[in-house]
Amino acid sequence: MTQLAKLEKWKGTLNKCIRCGYCYEHCQIYKSSRWEIDSPRGKLILLYGLLSGEVEPSDYVANKLFECFHCNRCQKACSSGVPIQDVYADAREFFLESGFDVVGTTSQTDHDLCARCLNCVRMCPHEARSFVDGKIVTDRLKCQSCGSCLDICSEKAVAIGRGFGTNPDELQRSIKLFFTQNSNAKAIVFSCSWSTFPGFQTANFDEQEADPETLTLVTVCSGRLNSQTVLETLLQGAWGVLICCCPESDCAHGGSGRAKARMNALQKTLEEIGIDPRRIQVSEVAQGNTKLFSETTKKFMDEISDLGALSIGGKQ
Amino acid sequence: MNSVNIAKLKEIVGAENVRDNKADLYVYGSDASVHEAMPQAIVRPQNTEQVQELMRYANSEKIPVIPRGSGSGMCGQVVPVMGGIILDMKGMNRILEINTPDGYCRVQPGVVDNDLNAALKPHGVFYPPTPASGVVATIGGEIANNASGTRAVKYGAARDAVLAMKVVLANGDCVSLGSNTRVASSGYPLERLMVGSEGTLGVIVEATLRFVPIPKLRCLGIAKFNTLAEAGDAISEIMGSGCQPSMLELIDKIAIVAANKAEKLGLPEVEAILLFEADGMAKETIDPEIEKFQAICEKHNGFGLEFSYDEKERARIFAGRAKLFPSLSKYDERLASTSLADDMAVPFSKMAETAKKIHEVAQRHGLVMTAYGHCGAGCMHTKILMDTDKDFQWEAARQAVAEIYDYVRSVGGTTSAEHGIGLSKAAAFKAEKATTLELMRGIKKVFDPNNILNPGKLMDGPDDWVEATRLRYQVSKAG
Repeated sequence: MTQLAKLEKWKGTLNKCIRCGYCYEHCQIYKSSRWEIDSPRGKLILLYGLLSGEVEPSDYVANKLFECFHCNRCQKACSSGVPIQDVYADAREFFLESGFDVVGTTSQTDHDLCARCLNCVRMCPHEARSFVDGKIVTDRLKCQSCGSCLDICSEKAVAIGRGFGTNPDELQRSIKLFFTQNSNAKAIVFSCSWSTFPGFQTANFDEQEADPETLTLVTVCSGRLNSQTVLETLLQGAWGVLICCCPESDCAHGGSGRAKARMNALQKTLEEIGIDPRRIQVSEVAQGNTKLFSETTKKFMDEISDLGALSIGGKQ
Repeated sequence: MNSVNIAKLKEIVGAENVRDNKADLYVYGSDASVHEAMPQAIVRPQNTEQVQELMRYANSEKIPVIPRGSGSGMCGQVVPVMGGIILDMKGMNRILEINTPDGYCRVQPGVVDNDLNAALKPHGVFYPPTPASGVVATIGGEIANNASGTRAVKYGAARDAVLAMKVVLANGDCVSLGSNTRVASSGYPLERLMVGSEGTLGVIVEATLRFVPIPKLRCLGIAKFNTLAEAGDAISEIMGSGCQPSMLELIDKIAIVAANKAEKLGLPEVEAILLFEADGMAKETIDPEIEKFQAICEKHNGFGLEFSYDEKERARIFAGRAKLFPSLSKYDERLASTSLADDMAVPFSKMAETAKKIHEVAQRHGLVMTAYGHCGAGCMHTKILMDTDKDFQWEAARQAVAEIYDYVRSVGGTTSAEHGIGLSKAAAFKAEKATTLELMRGIKKVFDPNNILNPGKLMDGPDDWVEATRLRYQVSKAG
C-alpha cells in the first residue's frame, strides 16, 4: 500500500486530535446513526489505524470516509486545529487510487432512468458531474453531497444512497411520526446543514414527557428540499413550515437561492387556493447564529399561531 | 476468556445494534486517553431488558462487559484491557420525566449532558455538574466517573445530584437504589457507591437526578497575576473568607496562550488569571461577592480586575474555557496534548504550590505541562504536552506523572477530582487507597463475583500505565 504515503504526512496532525469527541454535536451523520465510527473523531481514529496497521483498508472503511456532507462544522469547531476536511480529502484519494468500491454519500445516477438531458452536469456547483461514453459520471472527490443534481433531475434518476435522515423519504417518515405522536405539533423547521440547527439532537423525550410544537429536521442543503415534502408536511397537519437556510452569499451550492425561489412559487400557489402564504417561510440564518435561529423560530411560531390550524390534511 | 457469540448478541438486541467488524472495534477501542485495546463486539442495547439479557449471557460465559457512553473519558476507563463486549449505552437516550414540583428528572444513561440541560431550561432549572465536556458526555458516564466542572464549587459534583438509579448487576438482576427524595437516612447509600465506580459494579440503566434553579443573574470577574503563588494565595483566601463563587477558575500562562490561539479569547497572557463568577437572583446579593473577590485579589497583587454582567461576554469566555482541553494541542505545533496527570484535587492552600510543582517537574523532565482547574473546588488539571512519537518522552512522562502524584498525596490531595482513574491513574490511586484496596475488592466481588464488569480498572488497574495497553500513538525508538 504505497499510496498510504499520501496519509503519512498527517500522522503528526492526527496526534494533535486529543479525541475529546466535541465534534460529535456538529455532525449530522453521527447524530443520525450514533455509531462512533460515523463521527469525525471516529473517522480520524480509523485513519490513524490505517497508518499504524491496526485497520485494514476495505470497502467498508473507504465508504465511511466518503460519508460526509462537507458542511465543515467539525473542522471549524475543532479547538485542536485538526484540518479534518483536508485529511479526509487525501484519504479519499487514497481509497479511490487503491480501487475500493466507494459510494458514501456521493450522488449516484440510475442510467436506465437517466434521460441524458445533462441538466445535472450544468447544474452541479462543484463540477463533479460529467458525461462520459454516454453516461453521467460523478467525480467522487468533487461531489459534496449537496443534492443539487437530485434537485434538477426530472427523471428521478439521481440519488444519494445513505441520507442519514436527510433524504426526502426519511424526512417524510420523521414528519409523519412527529404529527402522529404529538397532539400539540404545529410546525416543521427545516434547517440546512450549513446553517444553524439546535444541538438537541441526540436525546429523545419519553412520549408523555413532551408534546412539542415544532420539530427541526436537517436537510443537508435547503436547495434540496422539494415542494412535495413541504406540501406533505402541511397535509400531515402542520400549521406552517419554516426553512432556515444559510445566507445566499455563504451558500456554496446555490441552494439558498433555489429554496427561496421554490418556496416563493409555492407561496403563490397556496395563495391562489386560499391558504395564507405566511404559512411557508424561508429565513437566512448563518452557521453558529443560534440566537437568530431561536428568534426566527419564535417569530414564525407566533405568526402561525395567530393564523391557526389549517383546514386541510389529517389534523386541525 | 470465552469467545463472544455474535449470533447470540444479535438475537438479544437485533442485528442492527451489534458491530463486530475490525474497523468499528478499533474505533471503540479507545477514548480520550493515551490507551487503546480491542473489544470483541460492540452492542447497543435499547432497553433495560436487553441489558439484563446481555449480562446474563456474559456472566454465564465469563465475558468482560464495558459500559460506555460517548467515550470522552481521559484515563482509559472504557478501554477494554481484557477484551469483551462494549455496551454502547447511547441507544438508551430518553429523558423519562421532568418533575418540577418534586425537583428531579429521570433519564436514561445515554442522554448527553447539554441535551438534558436544554430540556430543563424551559422549566427554569439546570443539572448542576457542568463538565466542560457537556457537549458530548453522557449522564451515565458522568455518574460512573463522578464528573463535575466549573460550577462544582457551588453546586457539587454528580454524586451530589444523584438521588436514585436503576442498575443491572453482573448476574442480570435489575435493582433500584436510592429514592426520589432529598433526604434518606437508613441503610448503605448504594446509589452513591455506584457514583465513581467506573462501570465495575453494574450497568446504570436509569438515573434520578436533582436539579437546581437557573440563577437570574451571573457576574463574571477576571483578575491577572504576575505569579502563580499570588494567584494561589488569593484562591485560598477567597475560599476561606466565606465567599460563595459559582465558579473560580485558575488558568496558567500555557493554557492562556493555547486558549487564545485556538479560540481567540483575547485573555491577557500573564502568568496566571483567576476567573470568578457569582450568581444569584438579585444584583444586591451578587455585588458583595464580587467586591470581596476584588478586595482579596488586590491584596495579593491581582491587577486589571474587570467585572461584567454581560451574558454574551460571559458565554464567550465560558465556551472558551470549556474547550481548553482540546485547545492545548495548539500551544506548540511540535507538541501534542496528552491526558496524563490530567486531574487531581488538593487543599485550597496548596493550589499555588501544586501549580509550581507541576511546572518544576515538567521542566526537569523536558516536558511542557500546564496547570489550570476549578480551583474553587480544589481541582487542578494538567496535561502533558510532548512529542508523542518519541519513546524518551514517554519515559519522561512516566516519571513526571509518578512524581506529581507522590506530591499530591504528600499534601493530603487525591488522585482524581472529577475525571476518574481508569488505567492512567491506577497506580497513583492504589498508592493513595492502599489501606482500603481489599475492602474495595471485597465489594466488587459481592457485586460481580466473576469479575466481568470493566475488569482491570480502579483497584485492579495496572501499576505501569505506559505498558498497560498499546499506546494510541506510534512511538519510535529513534529518540
